[in-house]
Amino acid sequence: MPLTEVVFYGRGGQGAVTAANILASAALESGNKDVQAFPIFGAERRGAPVKAFARISDSEIHLRSQVYSPNVVVVLDTGIMDTVNVTDGLKKDGTIVLNTPRSPDEVYMPFKVATVDATGIAIERKIMVGGIPIVNTPIVGTLPKLMDNLSIDSVKKAIMNRWKGKAGERNAAAAEDAYKRLRIK
Amino acid sequence: MKTTISYPEKAAMGKTGSWRVFRPLFHEDKCIKCWRCWIFCPEGAISRNELPSINYDFCKGCGVCANECPVNTIEMGREEK
Repeated sequence: MPLTEVVFYGRGGQGAVTAANILASAALESGNKDVQAFPIFGAERRGAPVKAFARISDSEIHLRSQVYSPNVVVVLDTGIMDTVNVTDGLKKDGTIVLNTPRSPDEVYMPFKVATVDATGIAIERKIMVGGIPIVNTPIVGTLPKLMDNLSIDSVKKAIMNRWKGKAGERNAAAAEDAYKRLRIK
Repeated sequence: MKTTISYPEKAAMGKTGSWRVFRPLFHEDKCIKCWRCWIFCPEGAISRNELPSINYDFCKGCGVCANECPVNTIEMGREEK
């Protein structure tokens, strides 16, 4: 895989932007040569739909545009699927990761579907900010299962680098939980 | 003089009910009709009928009503998605 492109869909305050950043630094830890992570959003406000992009490559990346045809789409909040077309541009052999307690068999999409109850994991691990469970670290923890240029250890390392002490440990544990619980159709 | 009360309407963000992670569940039996939930709801998503009724099209699940309720008749449960 020379170039892997990932799009994160979430809501303001859920951590889609941070998820892209964590993925990029984890990919560097995994030995990739070049990474990018950048967001795009309209209103900077809790609840507004947010898109964040990540690119991972084993050679230098010269692209500077938004990601229009991702290999992986990650949906942090399935509620936005009513208003946003999350499969837009997703490659035919691409994967979509959904944060839902449902099994992937219940989701009808012409792509490889993977589901994980990241909200449940965040509540269990007490990763809450202002009473809202933050699902970004668990959801990034699922990606090593779906990408061969990424390891769960490097994701945990990237999380521990970003948050020091107890918070980092909790988030890393949540990422590992999600890694183990991911269901793929 | 009549006081004007605003209720939420569909705006640029559409129906904001899909934002919920937690859903307020109203148990009628304990309600003492103090209307604190109606006063404190930041979205105006609670209306005064016989009992308070929650408009789930616009409730964002912030939990303020459950927090303010003196008899804990509103309970926050997880939203099914």
